[in-house]
Amino acid sequence: MKMTPSLIVGGSVAIFASVLYIAVLLPWSTTTREPSDIFRWRTPLEERGRQLYVNNNCSTCHSQFIRPIDWGLGAERIAQAGDYIDERPHLLGTQRTGPDLSQAGGEHPDDWHLAHFINPRYVRPESLMPSWEFLGMENIEALIAYVQSLGFKMADYRMERQRYWKEKAIEAYEAGTDANVAWLHERVPKPWRNLPNPYGTTEAGLKRGQKIYQGFCIGCHGPIGDGMGPAAPYLYPPPLNFTTLKGRGVSGGILYYYIMNGITGTAMPYFKRDLESEKIWDVGNYVATHFIGETDAGQPPKGIEASYEPPYGENPYGGEEPRRER
Amino acid sequence: MKFEFLKEEPHGTTKAFFLSSAVWMVLGTTFGFIGAIQLVAPELLANIPWVVFSRIRPMHTNAVIFGFVGSGLIGCAHYLVYTLLRSPLYSEKMGKLTVWMWNLAVLFGSLTLSRGYSQTREYAEWIWPIDILVLAALALMFYNLFQTARRRQEKLLYVSVWYVFAGLVFTFFIYFFGNAVWNPATGSITGMPDGILAWFYGHGIVGLFLTPLAVAIAYYVIPIVCRVPLYSHTLSLLGFWSILMIYTHIGAHHILQAPTPTWLKVIAITGSVAMLLPVSAVLVNLWLTMRGRVANMHATIGGKFVFAGTLWYLLTCLQGPLQSLPSVQKVTHFNNWVVAHAHMGVLGFSGVIALGGIYFILPRITGRSLHSEFLAEMQYWLVLVGMAGFFTVLTVAGLIQGHGWLQGETVYRMLPQIHIYMVLRLAIGVLIVSGAILGLYNIFMTLHGSRGKEGSS
Ligand code: HEC
Ligand code: HEC
Ligand code: HEM
Ligand code: HEM
Repeated sequence: MKMTPSLIVGGSVAIFASVLYIAVLLPWSTTTREPSDIFRWRTPLEERGRQLYVNNNCSTCHSQFIRPIDWGLGAERIAQAGDYIDERPHLLGTQRTGPDLSQAGGEHPDDWHLAHFINPRYVRPESLMPSWEFLGMENIEALIAYVQSLGFKMADYRMERQRYWKEKAIEAYEAGTDANVAWLHERVPKPWRNLPNPYGTTEAGLKRGQKIYQGFCIGCHGPIGDGMGPAAPYLYPPPLNFTTLKGRGVSGGILYYYIMNGITGTAMPYFKRDLESEKIWDVGNYVATHFIGETDAGQPPKGIEASYEPPYGENPYGGEEPRRER
Repeated sequence: MKFEFLKEEPHGTTKAFFLSSAVWMVLGTTFGFIGAIQLVAPELLANIPWVVFSRIRPMHTNAVIFGFVGSGLIGCAHYLVYTLLRSPLYSEKMGKLTVWMWNLAVLFGSLTLSRGYSQTREYAEWIWPIDILVLAALALMFYNLFQTARRRQEKLLYVSVWYVFAGLVFTFFIYFFGNAVWNPATGSITGMPDGILAWFYGHGIVGLFLTPLAVAIAYYVIPIVCRVPLYSHTLSLLGFWSILMIYTHIGAHHILQAPTPTWLKVIAITGSVAMLLPVSAVLVNLWLTMRGRVANMHATIGGKFVFAGTLWYLLTCLQGPLQSLPSVQKVTHFNNWVVAHAHMGVLGFSGVIALGGIYFILPRITGRSLHSEFLAEMQYWLVLVGMAGFFTVLTVAGLIQGHGWLQGETVYRMLPQIHIYMVLRLAIGVLIVSGAILGLYNIFMTLHGSRGKEGSS
């Protein structure tokens, strides 16, 4: 084959044109333009927030599509082409330094996002996300509006839920400490309320609990559990002052229930995805022992006997040493 | 002395591209370094808008791809074309103009990104006016080189020349369509097809801009250093046409797990595996050319860089097909594994070959030896060790992230797990940034140092 400039240039153009047809135009003409069941159009404020997301390249750390193998934030819906009909430019992303945001809307109330955008480490102490305080309040509000729209109708549903419970939570908070704690605890199903922490209090367990507290809770509830962490000024109702729980009927089960599920409407997030069972009991007991000042850990079991383990040295089965074979 | 904007001098265009490349290597790696700091200590530079991670990251990628590697490769490409075709560059003035346009594009691109103007699609972040500047520069380069080819003394076109012309043609069109320049406001089209277009582009930038030009340099340098003719013309032809046909198709492997059409995924995966064909055609051809003469390659610093570059090319292109398989991507997608691959391709392969080309060509166009062989040697080792370190650390971090996620750990829970690797990456980055600084000093002094001009040495 004799290679001449025109052959090379002509050949390149021909190959380029055919590939453009196969790899871009064909998919373009065959991809659906039908909206998916959850799709809705964005409001102007949400669009403005999206533009900020584009201009600041949030996609360098966040993807916006959920795969069938995913866990974690957003994993309640696998991405469908019909979710993307209004994406311009696309924000699929190729890097997950932070979580996928395609279903982030309504997972937290607005005040959580405000504190988070001002400084992510206020609410998530080990976050690598940059602070966006420099964008100014007006821009942060637009960003929040956009983030709360992620997930379209599914996000709207979650937002309605947040708004409904926010009103109630504020009402309870403003009615005073007794009423607030009573309201919070009434909402916990009864079996949970009566459930003590099934693990005994051990030094190792408290150390693990402290580590988790520092990695997840300290920014809101504060280093001494008084609810005065750096995020507090942005949150309403403010983070709970744990010391107020003393003598108000708190139990290991209540702590567990709220740490697992969060308190919808307030900034208190759920941790069911981050922490598994024993970790939740550990941090709960840390809070109970260090801040509340009363704990039911290691009490004889009321609920789940099988998992009850007494501290070393106390044998609940009659005090006899197990017989040894000679 | 009057400063002349478009000064005409022998090899002026090539020299100016080389110097630009060296400058952008320092700036580009520094940007990367600033980004890496924030993945270790996010509070250190908090609330300094123009270096916030998500702005400095595209500044880094574009500055190293277009500024450092791009300028270096394009500078070499000019030299190759007019040397191999035995005719002077059609217009040194036009050449200088393209140098300025190219540098202004990277400069304004970096500045606008740091001020928060971005179109956010990877490697297409620069806004519309800069896209136009890049396209105009590419078109002028093509025109300049094509006119050179039309006035050539040498009738036969050597392989390197094929790659340069094909590379320029593809880069122009891929850049034009990929940035959707007919939509100035967003630089994109709508919906899932925009993801497909964007990765047709992103993949094209590494595969049809960096790769052909780097391969052109390897094809040029190796036979000269080894003093033997190229092993096989047939393999050259095979490698050339097959890379153009296959590489172009497979951009969708970047968003393999997104809801794109299934047939497109099939093409992307099979094409990625088929990439082994052009890659082995090129590498077999190059390595059989240097058979028994690897020592020659290591006798000159330029040859040494080029040789290392071919090794990184092999590794990149073995890893590439592997990580395009769905069962592998399940673990490797979305995490630092891909960042390791990206550095190996862009720095290890094309960046190192660009450096090789620069050091090989510099003495030939200045008519005197490098300012310091020792510094070039230092840079070689700094980059080599740095690159190997990056690859190791980032791959390990990526596997930890990927396996953790697959087991159901949240992204937040995995952050403390990779902290130590982010620290190591930052530390290893020092080697590469230092290498860049040595390189700039050395290249500047070779071009403009007083040594030699006075006849002393
Ligand atoms: C350096 C990478 C990085 C960048 C850039 C970044 N983020 Fe994040 N983001 C994270 C990480 C890590 C987390 C998880 C920890 C946390 O919640 O802070 C996160 C969490 C989030 C969350 C909370 C998700 C949830 O519900 O738990 C939102 C919302 C968010 N980011 C939005 C944004 C927006 C909007 C931008 C751009 C303005 C952005 N991020 C830029 C890394 C980043
Ligand atoms: C973003 C801020 C925030 C973070 C982070 C946070 N909390 Fe909370 N927490 C709150 C708020 C706000 C409330 C409820 C205040 C109210 O309704 O009065 C609350 C309430 C609680 C309660 C309810 C107690 C009761 O008896 O009703 C518990 C328990 C609790 N938090 C534990 C934790 C633990 C443990 C962590 C870390 C794993 C944590 N929180 C992290 C903000 C936070
Ligand atoms: C000339 C040498 C270099 C080249 C060619 C280069 C190239 C690249 C490329 C192509 C990416 C994009 C990766 C992807 O999207 O998967 C990237 C990302 C990055 N690079 Fe570099 N790089 C170089 C040197 C450095 C140095 C010295 C550092 C500093 C330690 C660095 C730090 C980073 C960081 C922090 C990212 C972002 C990774 C992330 O998003 O998690 N790079 N680089
Ligand atoms: C045989 C050839 C190659 C194949 C099959 C291949 C395949 C891939 C795949 C599948 C990905 C996406 C990984 C993921 O996101 O999960 C990827 C990313 C990447 N590749 Fe390659 N690769 C090849 C060669 C190269 C070369 C030669 C370069 C550089 C010149 C390169 C540069 C990159 C870069 C920069 C990325 C990161 C893109 C991003 O930002 O996400 N690749 N490659």
